[in-house]
Amino acid sequence: MSGLFLAKGGPVIPSFGHASKCLLHNGWFCTDWITNHWSDILQPALIQHIQLTVIAVSIGFGIAFVLAVAGFRWRIVDAPLGVFADFLYTLPSIALFQILVPLTGVTVTTVEVALVAFTQFVLYRNIVAGLRSVPADVLESARGMGLTRTQTFVRVELPLALPAILAGVRIATVATISIATVAAFLIQDGLGAPIFDALGTPDIFKTELLAAGGLAIVLALVADGALAVAQRALTPWSRR
Amino acid sequence: MIAAGAFVDALRFIPAHATLLLDKSGQTAELAFASLGIALVLALPLGLWLGHRHKGLSIAIGISSLGRALPSIALIGIGIGVLGIGFWNLSAALVVLAIPPILTNAYFGVADVDRDAVEAGRGMGLTELQILTRIELPLGLPLLLAGVRIGAVFVIATATLAGVVSGGGLGDIMARPVTYGLAGTIAAALCVSAIALLTSLALALAQRAAFRRMAPNA
Amino acid sequence: MFRKHTRRAARAAFAVSFGVALLIGLVACGGGSSAKPSVVIGTKNFAEEYILGQLYGQALAAKGFKVTYKNDIGSSEVIDTAFKSGKINLYPEYTGVIALDIAKTANAPKTASATYQVAKSFEQRSRDATLLKPTPFSDTDTFTVLTSNAQKDGLTTMSDLSKLPSFSYAGYPECDQRITCILGMKQIYGLKNITFIPIGNISVYTLLDQGKALGGDGFSTDPAQLDPKYTALVDDKHIFGFQNVAPVVANSLTSGSNGTLLEQTCNAVSADLTLQAMQAMNKAYYVDKATPKQIAHGFLAANGLLK
Repeated sequence: MSGLFLAKGGPVIPSFGHASKCLLHNGWFCTDWITNHWSDILQPALIQHIQLTVIAVSIGFGIAFVLAVAGFRWRIVDAPLGVFADFLYTLPSIALFQILVPLTGVTVTTVEVALVAFTQFVLYRNIVAGLRSVPADVLESARGMGLTRTQTFVRVELPLALPAILAGVRIATVATISIATVAAFLIQDGLGAPIFDALGTPDIFKTELLAAGGLAIVLALVADGALAVAQRALTPWSRR
Repeated sequence: MIAAGAFVDALRFIPAHATLLLDKSGQTAELAFASLGIALVLALPLGLWLGHRHKGLSIAIGISSLGRALPSIALIGIGIGVLGIGFWNLSAALVVLAIPPILTNAYFGVADVDRDAVEAGRGMGLTELQILTRIELPLGLPLLLAGVRIGAVFVIATATLAGVVSGGGLGDIMARPVTYGLAGTIAAALCVSAIALLTSLALALAQRAAFRRMAPNA
Repeated sequence: MFRKHTRRAARAAFAVSFGVALLIGLVACGGGSSAKPSVVIGTKNFAEEYILGQLYGQALAAKGFKVTYKNDIGSSEVIDTAFKSGKINLYPEYTGVIALDIAKTANAPKTASATYQVAKSFEQRSRDATLLKPTPFSDTDTFTVLTSNAQKDGLTTMSDLSKLPSFSYAGYPECDQRITCILGMKQIYGLKNITFIPIGNISVYTLLDQGKALGGDGFSTDPAQLDPKYTALVDDKHIFGFQNVAPVVANSLTSGSNGTLLEQTCNAVSADLTLQAMQAMNKAYYVDKATPKQIAHGFLAANGLLK
């Protein structure tokens, strides 16, 4: 067993590597840091962020779709559902995270539940609006052709509601990417974590801040662009 | 339910910490409305003029998509890195986020006005500016106000977020559950909702008044 | 008749083999002291803690322990709660913080070893835990100011702050509840008119640079402390206490031969953590932007602690 308070000359202090000039001057774009830490900081954060978003939007869409069909069919359900979705959105994300902690702990689940809740505002309203936008005469002709309620829904109402639904998915996805950066207050996942780490360093670590923040912005723009293209491709009959 | 218990605690928190909440609400509101004001001054004239000239549609749409997409925390964080911490520095990030909805709705509010009304105005010999102010603006006011309303709610929510990052305003309370507990967070969130609701209501009333002036018999 | 015999024989064979299997199982489980327990290391919410967590964790992993980390749990009060509820079973803590802020002992100990003893008996009494041997280095909170302000206002010690009609101090949120922080400034130094600025996500040194506070809670092992731009006022009334680091370990981990191995390993690591070593590691994190994992690995490997 080694002595406690040192009798020997002291421990070996190795060189931990030296930062480049760029880092020592806290430059905005130190490529050496970015390449060194792409695989252990930036890429995992990016992948986690994408995962958080995809899971939230998928589950959110599933829930919103079911609720929207219900709200569309039975108007009395629509008003309270709509108001509830609106209310969920006005809650600041931090507050919702903390409210959920006693229920689901400090975990990814808590963040996902909150993100799903926030998507409802856009998705519910858009899906219902889309379904409602189907002109009455189109429904009439469908009924006239002998289609059942379900057939009308699947073959006529849904396709015509698609533009609004896709627009909703697009907005919800982009909003989720944005809110997911706040998740770093709770868990270490997502691009918010390196952003907050960077803000907390004594000099504000500019390269990490720009790299992570930039990735978040690029991710949002790419997602928005891709979904816009999908929107136009899947609904060639809709204008603009 | 735990949430119900916390909610009750929050209701007790509010009177117990009234001055604190009022103080912080004031800070958030100050930041939000200053930023909104600046965004209005920058985006409104530009949007109105572009809409009047029917120019720059793609730019308007592009800015709108961009603004909606930008993750607020990334923007606020980079803003702090560039400009440091402080009221006007945070405000800059918020202005950038508030401009798109105001610009877009100003543009479409004016551009979508009935062409006949505009033509009639031209026929009467009104100048371009007069057409804008006496015909297009009044007719486009409802849509414009809707855009301002969306921008306002968004800015209030983001101003709170800015407070979480660097202190100040209601976000400060929400970021310190160790000090203020869940009750404090919920109380602060209620205050944010209150500010957003009051602002939205005020603008909704303005929107209704504008509508009534446009179509008094409708 | 023949069948009855076969059935009985089959039943007997089954019973015997079952019994043998059971016996083997019991022996295997009973002799399970060779299976190392799983260590869940928690760390508080700043860099030095992440590095310390990695130092102890990697050393233990090298000896065959199963180590998992729960990083950035929060302040001392929060991590103490996590420890009590069993979410973690080992974490590095500062002796003064345990003695003064968690145990809230009435008479502040006057030496480093007295502080350690108070902390150790508290953990034994109230947390069913052991405090392993302390490190040579200590890391206290400070009242750090910009050197230019210290010169302008004639501040050398914290008692000098009474010259100022009012001042602001930036610290972690729990600071205004702690005798080792704002409470101590008020009660022990008798300072009044202190504006407390809670640190959000922005570093203390950034706030000082931007003139948002007069003083800030820099840590004495921060690389910035070596920068002439900043000065830490002398804590002449010792409110910041003595703050060596020692691992708080749940008693469930310290029993048997594995427990002894765990203690030996951690003590070996602690013995090498001098002030110089800690300052170098903090510098590697803040200035050279190395990760805690890399830093801990480099230090342990250089000192033969990963064998």
